[in-house]
Order: sequence, then C-alpha cells, then structure tokens
Amino acid sequence: MASRPLRKSDARVVRLPTSLRSVDAGREPADSAQLWVGAHIVSLGASATLEKLATRAQRFTPRVSLVPPDGLLLEVKGSLHLFNGVEGLLRGFGADCQMLGIESTIALAPTPLAALVAARVGEPFVVTNKAQLIGRLTSMPLGPLRWPEEVIERLARMGVRTIGQTLRLPRAGFARRFGPVHLAELDRLTGRNADLRHDFQPRERFRRRRELTYEMENNETILAALAPMLADLGRFLETRQVGITELECRLRHRHAAPSQCVLRLAAPLANVERLTQLLGEKLNALVLPEPVRSLELRSGLPVLRELNSNPLWQPGEYGGAAAGSESSALIEILRARLGHESVYSLRVMQAHRPERAWAMCEPSLAGASVPPTRGPGVAAPWGAFRRPLWLLPTPQQLEEIDGVPRRRGTLRFFGDVERIETGWWDGGEIGRDYYTVFDIYGVQLWIFRERADPHRWFLHGVFG
Amino acid sequence: MSSVTSELARLLEHPGIWRGTSVARTEVLSSGFAALDERLPGGGWPRSGLIEILTPRLGVGELTLLLPVLSTLTRAPMPRSAVWVAPPFEPFAPALAAHGVVLERILIVRVPEALRSGALWAFEQSLGSNACDLVMSWALNHPKGPRAKEIRRLQLAAERGRALGVLFRPLQAARESSHAALRLAIEPSTYGVRVHLLKSKGGVRGSVDLDLTTAGG
Repeated sequence: MASRPLRKSDARVVRLPTSLRSVDAGREPADSAQLWVGAHIVSLGASATLEKLATRAQRFTPRVSLVPPDGLLLEVKGSLHLFNGVEGLLRGFGADCQMLGIESTIALAPTPLAALVAARVGEPFVVTNKAQLIGRLTSMPLGPLRWPEEVIERLARMGVRTIGQTLRLPRAGFARRFGPVHLAELDRLTGRNADLRHDFQPRERFRRRRELTYEMENNETILAALAPMLADLGRFLETRQVGITELECRLRHRHAAPSQCVLRLAAPLANVERLTQLLGEKLNALVLPEPVRSLELRSGLPVLRELNSNPLWQPGEYGGAAAGSESSALIEILRARLGHESVYSLRVMQAHRPERAWAMCEPSLAGASVPPTRGPGVAAPWGAFRRPLWLLPTPQQLEEIDGVPRRRGTLRFFGDVERIETGWWDGGEIGRDYYTVFDIYGVQLWIFRERADPHRWFLHGVFG
Repeated sequence: MSSVTSELARLLEHPGIWRGTSVARTEVLSSGFAALDERLPGGGWPRSGLIEILTPRLGVGELTLLLPVLSTLTRAPMPRSAVWVAPPFEPFAPALAAHGVVLERILIVRVPEALRSGALWAFEQSLGSNACDLVMSWALNHPKGPRAKEIRRLQLAAERGRALGVLFRPLQAARESSHAALRLAIEPSTYGVRVHLLKSKGGVRGSVDLDLTTAGG
C-alpha cells in the first residue's frame, strides 16, 4: 500500500478484513434489504464470455459480480421497479442471455449465495422475503453448494442430504467436524452473515466516430477535427484514473480502404496535449490516398497509471528526480515520426562471436540510477584483446593482392592476432583470425581472415 | 599590495562581471584528458551547449575522445539518456561496457533513408527534451551538412535542454562559420590524436596531442 499512491478508485476496493467482518456474526446485517438475481450459465455460446454478459447485465444494476467459471450475480433491489418488477427484470435478463447465445438458469433470492445455489438447482425459484428463504431452501440437495466431495460424502454417511438437514445440525459440532469455513458459508446462505461481493468492473475502451461535414485533406484540419474527440478521450481517462498505451486513428475515404495510424506508447499516458502531439507526428508521416470523410478514434485497453506529483527540481539537476517522464516523452515522439523500431537501447550478450555479443533491447524507462554492472578496468571476457567501438552490420570483404588485404591503400598491421573459433554446436560456426590494422589515413580497423578456404579477408569493425 | 590583489580577485568573482576568459564559466565536465582540459574553456567540455568535432574520416579517434565523458555521464547519480543519432555503424555494446559505459542509458536513434531531414530533427528533439545528458549526431554522410541557421537552433536547444550536443562533421565544414560553443578538428597522430581548437569561446586556440592508448581506447 505504501509503495503506491492512493487512487480514487481504491475507495471502492477496500474491504473490511475478515476479523472485523465477523463482528456482525450472529446478528442481522444492517443492509439486509437486498435482492439478488443469480444466474447459472449452463452453456456459453460460441463467442460469448461471462464478462460480456456481465457488461450487458450492468444495464439492470451497477452491482454485478462474477462467480467464475459459470455464475453471475446481480443485486436488483433498487432497480426492480424500473423493469416492471421481478417478472419484467427476469424476462429482460433472459432475453439478454438469449441474444448472446447463452443458456442459463435464473433464480431470485435475498442472499447472493442462495440465489446462486437455487439457480444451479435449476428449478423456478423466486423468493423476495427473507423469512421464507430457509423454508424454500430446506429441500435442496447439498451438491450445488460445491463443497468438497469428501465433506458431502461424510454428511451423506450421517444421513444428511439436504440443506435443511444440514441447517438442523448443532452449529458447534458442525464447525468442529467440517470446519468453520463451511459453517460460515451456511450463514451467508441464510443471510445470518453478510456476504460481500466484489463488483464487476468492465474493461472499457474508448471509441468515438465522427462523420465530417466536408472532405478533408490537410493534416492540420484533420488534427483540428480530431481535437474534440481527443478532449473526450482525456475526460474518459481522467474519470477512470487510467492511461492508454495504444491509440488507433482510422480515417475513412470515399473509395480507398481506410487509412490507419496506430500510436504505441512506451508508458501509459493520459495527457491529451501529448497524445495530440504524437498523433500529429503520426499523421504527418501518413500518406492519404484520398480525402478523408470520417474519423474514428479507438483506444487500447486502459491501464492503471502511477500518479506522481511533479518534482520541484528539474530532472538531472542536483536533488532532482530522474528523468523518467521526459525520457519516455522523447522516445515516444521519436518513435512517432521515425518508426517504432528506430529507437532502441543496447545490451551485452554472453557470446564470443562478435555479431552475437550484443543485442538491441527496449530502452529502459525506469530513470532510476542503474548500478553499473561492470566497472572500468575490470577484465572483459576476451581478456587483453581490444574490441572496436563500431561493428559493421555485416563483415565487408576486402580486396587483396597476393593474400595481403588492402583497403584504400596498404594496411599496417599492429599488435597481436586473436583467434575466435566457436559456434560449432549451433550451425553458426565461425573460425576467424582477427587483426588490428591502420589504414593510410590513420584509421584503426578490425579485420579478420577466414580460417577455412578460401581464406578471404573481411573488415568487421572500426575502433573509432 | 597582496591584499589589494585578493580584494580585486574577490570583486572579479562577482557573477555580474564578465571577462573575456571567463565567459564560459559555466558547469563543465572533465574530458578525461588532462592536457585537453587545460586548453578547454572552463577546464572541460561544457555541461550544456553544442560542440562540433571535425574529422577527416570516420573512425580516426573521435569516439574514443568522448568515451570518458560518456562513461562519467551514464554513471552519474541521476543519469539521463545518452542519445546516438544516426550512427554510421552499430555501436559495439561489449566494448562500450568494458569502458564503463552503462548501456541502459544509451539510446540509439536510426533515421530511415526516406526522411532526409529526420536526423537533424531527432537531434534537436533530443537536445531540447530535457531527457538527455549527451546527444551525439553524425552528419558526415549528409551532403551539405547542417546550415549555420540550423546550428544556431541546435545550440539553443542544447541550452534549453541542458544537454551536451556533439556534432561530428567532415573537415571541409571548417570553412563555414558556426554558432557552436566549441569547435575542434582532430587528426590521427602516432599514439592517438592531435586536437586543433578551431573555435573556443573564452578559451585559447591551438593544438594539443593526446595519447589515446592510455585512455583505454
């Protein structure tokens, strides 16, 4: 908790610890006036998911919670009258399931667990009054409670096969034999204890479309037309306290296929000005086949972002914070114009083949000071041999006269020869003798001679 | 008499008074070569500003000359990035690491062929971004190189972003005037390089021989 700044949304997530909750045990919970619709999903359709159904079910109530893999709960006490009472609401929910191709059984009860268990049983079950609940539950089998097989078997050996029979058992003895967990579950079933459920939070994406009143060609005007949509996006992100890492802008034309420009960001971003700037860079690089008729903006999945206060000092200054946000801003703007793969960082690989001894990697954004992995003067894996600062992407063959290499004139050999012979185990076998030479202009080069026939010479690096 | 001199020296310390030799009394970074530091205004590379290094050819020792400062900056307590704009080849990571350069701080920027002015743009963006300590750009392959007006913009961007900008250019560029704070030409010598200070604001002009073999080049 301490490591992360508090968010507005945290207020909803904070739950009482179990020990505090048990204060309520044995007495009527204060918010007893609840009514739950439980849905048991018999079979999901081809494309439907529980989350899709939950998102749809949010039109009935904001308090929807998932019970994976096949359960859904809706608290509908407050919204029942908006849907013509119980029948209307259940009919509406059933229609939603049908539309998504989901087969489900529905029950209504004052406690979430009872609603769920009744839905699993699959018989019509509508109880709105808590006083009638236990009476209606008594005849139900224990199976839908989904207790472990072993517990149900032991109860069955005692002759206990229904919920009613279980409820008649002495509480203390039941807790001792089967554990307090199951007793607590029975209490939640009957409403003796409160049953707290996490509300489902849909993973929404931002999507806006705008038909233009006239066709546009100019990047500036297109960006201006996007501005209100981007402002909408800013409000969307602000109210949810999230950022996005991907934004897609789709431009539709009269005949040609829609042009797309996709913005990928190094870190979650919610700042509209910067998004506009980056999108502007992307649009400038785009070549439009035809004038644009409509615009569409789609965001990727929102990501929780860290909220930090701005430091007093400039980054890099003494006492200032590390330049985290500045450096991600720089990387994003460079990538927006030059392409995603044009900006990278380097790392060392454990390999003796020079071309495999390094690799491109994603630039680190942490900004925090990285402890240096190797100090100056510490022995490199190649010992006393020197390595050039520049490596040619592919070795360049040198011309030669009588087996002596030349490059823009004669080459002067200098220092020892280093043999690198490795990679026989993975097909990338090399056998090379590396020399350090000076050309006639005083440039120090790193060249090698193949060990195998035809003993060609190659330039592989420049010392710089 | 000595008290008068010390009084005068104290007076001249006043930041409102500028003298010819102290124009560059700004934050500096040691170049790592004592002989060069003596000649450079303020005793080292400027902490922010643009310098030009003119070379007859690529690879005569210009990068080795900057290795100490590259290593110092990437290992500083609050490091920012060290950006390489359009380097001619691949910087060889193991060699850089062996010289104490922290690779996490390095950012390579490649400029696609199609975007001709991209290198200059990327250079200016990086200099002014406040996210970089050092930005190096290779304009060697550029047919005309940046014009004086553009150099001026780069110099201002470097001051704004408090970054040290290094522009590598061919020796022919020495004929053009430049707004860079410091301009040097280097040529290979027996053990290292000879550095000619062509322009140095508030410093002395002249040449200095550097031994790059001891610098670990």
